This record gives sequence, C-alpha cells and structure tokens, in this order.
Amino acid sequence: MTGTAGKTTEPWRVGVLFSRTGFMAVIEETQLRGTLLAIEEINAAGGVNGRELIPVLYDPASESAAFGLCAKRLMIEDGITTIFGCYTSSSRKAVLPVVERLNGLLWYPTLYEGFEFSPNIIYTGAAPNQNSLALCRYLMETYGRRFYFIGSDYVYPRESNRVMRELVRHAGGEVVGETYLSLRAKRRDFQPVMRDIRSQSPDMIFSTVVGDSTTYLYQSYLEAGFNPKTQPIASLTTTEAEIRAMGFDVGEGHITAAPYFECLAGESNSSFVSRYKKRYGQDEPTNMCVEAAYFQVHVFARTLERTNCMDTDALRPMILGSEFEAPQGRISINPHCGHTDLWPRIGRANSRGQFDIMWDSKAPVRADPYLIGYGRSTVFS
Amino acid sequence: MSWQARTLPSEISGLDIVVATRRDEHGELLVRELQRTRSRVRHEWPAPERMPEDADVLFCDLAPGLPGRLPWVPGEPKAALVVIIPVVPPPDLDLLRNCAADAVLHRPFTSHAVLVALVQARSRFGYEQRLRWRVDKLDETLRSIRAVERAKAILVSTRNMREEEAYHFLRRQAMDRRLSISAVAAAIVDSHEILS
Repeated sequence: MTGTAGKTTEPWRVGVLFSRTGFMAVIEETQLRGTLLAIEEINAAGGVNGRELIPVLYDPASESAAFGLCAKRLMIEDGITTIFGCYTSSSRKAVLPVVERLNGLLWYPTLYEGFEFSPNIIYTGAAPNQNSLALCRYLMETYGRRFYFIGSDYVYPRESNRVMRELVRHAGGEVVGETYLSLRAKRRDFQPVMRDIRSQSPDMIFSTVVGDSTTYLYQSYLEAGFNPKTQPIASLTTTEAEIRAMGFDVGEGHITAAPYFECLAGESNSSFVSRYKKRYGQDEPTNMCVEAAYFQVHVFARTLERTNCMDTDALRPMILGSEFEAPQGRISINPHCGHTDLWPRIGRANSRGQFDIMWDSKAPVRADPYLIGYGRSTVFS
Repeated sequence: MSWQARTLPSEISGLDIVVATRRDEHGELLVRELQRTRSRVRHEWPAPERMPEDADVLFCDLAPGLPGRLPWVPGEPKAALVVIIPVVPPPDLDLLRNCAADAVLHRPFTSHAVLVALVQARSRFGYEQRLRWRVDKLDETLRSIRAVERAKAILVSTRNMREEEAYHFLRRQAMDRRLSISAVAAAIVDSHEILS
C-alpha cells in the first residue's frame, strides 16, 4: 500500500469479517448486508475521492479463532488496514491483538459488555450504560423485581450478567436463577431450563443467549406455556432478525433494549429501510446490528475523504469526534473512548415481527464503557 | 535494485530521520538509502551533545555516553532508536541494554539491512506507543472511578442527594459543560477540599 495521495484511481480495499455460515450466521449475515449496502452507496456516489471502495470478504464460519486468523490474513497477505467485522466478544478479542500489533483499525458494530478500550478499535454498538441500564429500570418498573438470567456460555453473557446483577441488586431486585448453555445448544437443552424457570417463578427472564439457540429459547418458552405479558424474556441481542428466524408469534410480547429498531420514525430511517429492502428483499427486516454496520462504513468513508490515506494513525484522530446522521438519529464517535454516543430505546415485539417502542431516550447517551459515571445506579435520563 | 520507494509501507516513508555516525563511505550509504524512503535525513557528526527532539527515528553509533545524549529518559522515548554497532571494538552489552534500542544495525551497512532496521524500529516503537497509550487510558479510568466516587460522596453528604441523584448530577454537569465526568468530579473534589 502506498501512504501517499496521488491522482490514482486505484481502489481502496477494506476487510469485512462476518460469518455467513455456522451458528452465528443469522445475525452476522445481516451485518454483512449493512456493510455492503453502505459500500455500494458510497461507490454509486463516485467512491471516496474518486476511488472505489472494494471489500475483501472472508467467512470465519462462527469460529472465534478463525476471526483472528482471517484478520491476520487480511492485514498480512492482503495488505489491508481497515476491517469491518465481528459480532461476538470472543471474535473481537481474537482480532484485537492482531490489529493492535500491526496497527490496523477494527470497526465493531455490535453491542457488547464494556470494559474494553483499544486504540485500534472503533466501537459502534451499545455499551452497557446505553442498553442494560435502561432495560433494568424498565423491567423493574413494569414487571417486578425477580430476575432469571439465561445466557450462552462465553465471555459476553457472563460479563454482561455481572454488570446486570450489580444493577439489579442495587435497585432492590433479586436474581433467582442463572444458567448458561453452549453456543451450540439444541432445543432439548432448554427443557430443563424451562422447568427451573417454572419452579423459580421469576418476574422476567433476562437472556444473553445469542445465535441459533435464541430461536430454541423462545420456542421452548412458548411450548412451556409461559405468558410474555406477565413474565417476558428481555434481551439486549434479540433483534428483528432473530424474531424472524423464530417466528413472529413466538417472539411477540418479548422485550429488547437497543439504540435502533426498524420501526423508528424519521426520514433518515425510512429511506434507509427502503433502500435495504430494495437491495435485499421486501421481507428482509433491518435491525440494530445492520444499522451499526451500515453507519460505521459511512463514518469511515467520510473520514477517508478527509485523510485520503488509509493509515490508522491518520484515520483515528479524524474519526474521533465525528458525527453522522444515522438511521437511529444523530450519533457521534466519543473522542474520549472511541465508542459511540447513541440513543437508548426499549422495544416490545409485536405480531408483525416488529418492535413497538415502549421507552426512548430524549437525547443521545454518552458511551461510558467502564460505567464510571453510574456507580450501580439504574436511574438515568 | 530490489525495492522501490512506491512499494514501501507508509510506516517507513516520509519520516524525519537524524543520523549520527562517521561521515565515511558507509555513513554516506546509510544517508542515501534512508533518503530513498522519501524521508528528510539530517546527518549530524560529530554526534551532538543532545540529539534533536523533533525526529521520528534516530540512527546513533553505540558509544559511551549515548544514553545521556538521547533527549528522553529511558521508558519514555520520543522517537524510534536504531543503534549502530561498529565493526570494532566488541559491543558493550550493558550499554546496548541501557539505550533501549528498537533495532540494531551493524557496520558495514547494506541497503537491505538499513531498511530492515528501519521497519523493525518503527514497528516496535509504534506498538510500544499504542500499548503505553492503552495503559495510560486504563490508569486514567481508574483515577476517574476514584474521583467520581469521592465527588458522589461529597454530594451525598453536603447536598443531601441520594446516590442516584449524585451520579445523575455529575453526568448532567458533564454534558452541559462539555467536560468529561472525571473533570467535573475532580473540580468538585478540589473545591470541597479548598472550602473545608
């Protein structure tokens, strides 16, 4: 790669790492689509400073270690410095040492458990103060004080639950059960969990189950005869994509906290949704992960337009502090922590596979990945 | 000619480089090779008492007194350092260690060895800087947590706020004043200490 600008028409090459196969494909495929849609839009408008944006894609097939290897290949063999990718925290943690050592830049479009801060990652999904806090408060005001935690067995659910447990306890709530299942859990694995939930009788189930087993959780819940009106599943990760995979009737009545839902009003979102559907099909819903994957490419392209250079050392200072009119509202990349200031919202799934907004923040909330400004408080505005 | 300037990684082109080694034919070769990376190269010989502070990379002979000529304390380098090992005498290993070099380059130089040392030094220096930045940020985060906790305690005891209100107050002030929450917390702690 040349570090110098010239009157070249050579394309800008960027890496894209999302699983198209394996148990994380349902959601990661949508992130891939959001990424490609943004790249296509940028190219249709003439590229960046007259140069086309070319994605180099690999499929890490839902294997965390493969993400590290693919990142290595992108940076070393393909000579690429900017990578869009990763859904699970374990895949991000596999890519992190690679981009830090070789001075790459990973754009990570997924909510995560916080407590991380790499000079080589831009985080565009929600940190815990931008989803868990609002969710905990809403659940306690609406359904009661007894939580049951169920999660996939890897780093994100355990860390996320550590934060949630603190919040719940501080607000006078109680965690009456906690269970972790393999990322590859099958439907039958959820039956003993349903029996435990019946015997503990919590007011709500806080789920950090991700991937294909999300469907089995909600289906098992329905089959076990629980009622989402009084005892819903609440999640930070169940989006329109998972609801579609499990069936609209299965998802109806359950709660998700996210900065973006497809149903959001506003010109920015309605035009985004119609472009997405035009590209991928009328039945294809957008979701929070698509949206972050989409807007982060635009933030990158605007920055590249100014630097005209793919060096991380040139890009990063320009990215920090930049703002963008995203489908969720105006977002900005927080200059102190490289995370994104976002709009927390609470949605409840309806019979059409969409979310009805039950609560939304009146202003963007600053990312606080270490929860410095919160203590264990759930009250915020 | 096995490489061309246009194929160089940006990490090693267009730099400010200072060279402090003898002005013999090898010294000239070193300067020439570095210039081919489109870098601005200053050849300083005899070596100045204090090396310039505005360079990206320093190439210096390993000689007694080198640590004292470097414009920084060990552990806080401001530039990548390549130490040049002379043919004779045998290198002083303690001295080498005390210079904390990012790469070494042996006389007599070859064109390849110069580039190898440059890439090696820049890559190691850059990585160390990023790790240091991350450590600094973590330190800052821990200090912030402490400051916010203290400020909260002050608000709770002097303003009769509940804990949640105190956190909310701090976040609100930070937003309104466009400051970080730790800056607001530090100001509260400072003024409380002055007043009490």
